[in-house]
Amino acid sequence: MIWTVFAITVGVVLLILFEWPKMKQNQKKEKAAFVTLTAMGWLLAILLVFFPDMPGPTQMIEKLFKPLGKLIE
Amino acid sequence: MIEKGKISAFQMALMIEPTVVATAVLVVPSVTAKVAGRDMWISPIFGSLVGFFSLFIVYQLHKHFPEKSIIQYSGDIIGRIPGKIIGLIYLFFLLHSSGIITREYADFIIAAFLPRTPMFVVMGGMILVCAFTVLSGLEVLGRAAQVFVPIFMSTPLLFILLIPDLKLENIVPIMEHGMMPSILGAVIPQGWLSEVSLISMFLPFLKDREKGGKWGIISVIVIILHLVIINIVCLLLYGESVTSYAFPVLTAFRYISVATFFEHLEAVVVIIWVMGAFIKISVFYYVLVLGTAQWLNLSDYRPIVFPIGFLVCLVCIWAAANGQELGRFLRTISPFYIPSIMTFIPMLLLLIAIIKKKMRNKRQPVPTNP
Repeated sequence: MIWTVFAITVGVVLLILFEWPKMKQNQKKEKAAFVTLTAMGWLLAILLVFFPDMPGPTQMIEKLFKPLGKLIE
Repeated sequence: MIEKGKISAFQMALMIEPTVVATAVLVVPSVTAKVAGRDMWISPIFGSLVGFFSLFIVYQLHKHFPEKSIIQYSGDIIGRIPGKIIGLIYLFFLLHSSGIITREYADFIIAAFLPRTPMFVVMGGMILVCAFTVLSGLEVLGRAAQVFVPIFMSTPLLFILLIPDLKLENIVPIMEHGMMPSILGAVIPQGWLSEVSLISMFLPFLKDREKGGKWGIISVIVIILHLVIINIVCLLLYGESVTSYAFPVLTAFRYISVATFFEHLEAVVVIIWVMGAFIKISVFYYVLVLGTAQWLNLSDYRPIVFPIGFLVCLVCIWAAANGQELGRFLRTISPFYIPSIMTFIPMLLLLIAIIKKKMRNKRQPVPTNP
């Protein structure tokens, strides 16, 4: 498990090293968006490693649309 | 504008065709047969009404705001903050459905051909290829569609080899229980057909905008033909037992055997299908990346391509615990989930835009031209 976390972190660091030099100095907003999205991805990946059965977007949507879904089940 | 490339209306139509059909061929025949029985081949025709309706709405909205996509004009129509919320819902839907589509692709490839390959290899490989396509921009995506989609669309021609196995009596009696079963069966294909409204992101980048509507209609008609042919072949081949197959179209190609040496065509068909799935995932991925960039008012979408690809991979794993759960979601929830975002939200936006325009005209009467 700790190795999966390690592998994910290495992947994310490589992604940052690959993408960071391509952005120009004045692209502040792009840098912020890039960092936020990458951090979100990293955090979610770590969470999924430790809690793979965490209820996800599919469960949320299923709860929302359940009354309609029963009509055709 | 963020995207500087231009595509033609024809390329847009080619991109939309596999966007609907690529995953519909996996699920639609067996699920429609459960509801509609022998009339399953009529259902896509009824389902197309939703396709035409979404196309009409998106095209009308495009006429009101010719330079903008749905993420941008939702702010103009209902104000900045509500517009951002609508945009966020739209982006969440795109992220979730990109994940689900990638999951369908990976599940299918693993079940059919690579049973011992871990899922993240199949999924990650596809996302990586799509990421490079999205990174290259819309023009490359259009060209890729031009190369791959005609091949993808030609797969129904291979059904000619199946003619000896088809039993024509499976189709009669047509409409034994009236129209209702086929209309109820249309619930499934209409969900897929409402994905046509993704063209709202491509319409501003057309070289020949006046042809956009025409090619949209043509692409919906081609989609219906494709689905109807597939449904008819599945029906004639299996009869009503089509419901018991996980991937009826793939199994249909396994039946092909000409003179006992021309066999195992399904390998070829899956190669061709992967092209269609590639275009589908790329279209969703591209729309998601471009939409996020527009939502955040970025000057360039390229920096966020890989982080979003990473998120799509995670949602793909997160989306469902197993194939059964995903199948149930696709059968019962997605026929309502997809149209509510892809058709219902644009419809509300169009209604509000029209009412707003009328009220503005009433308040300040337009000077009549002499």
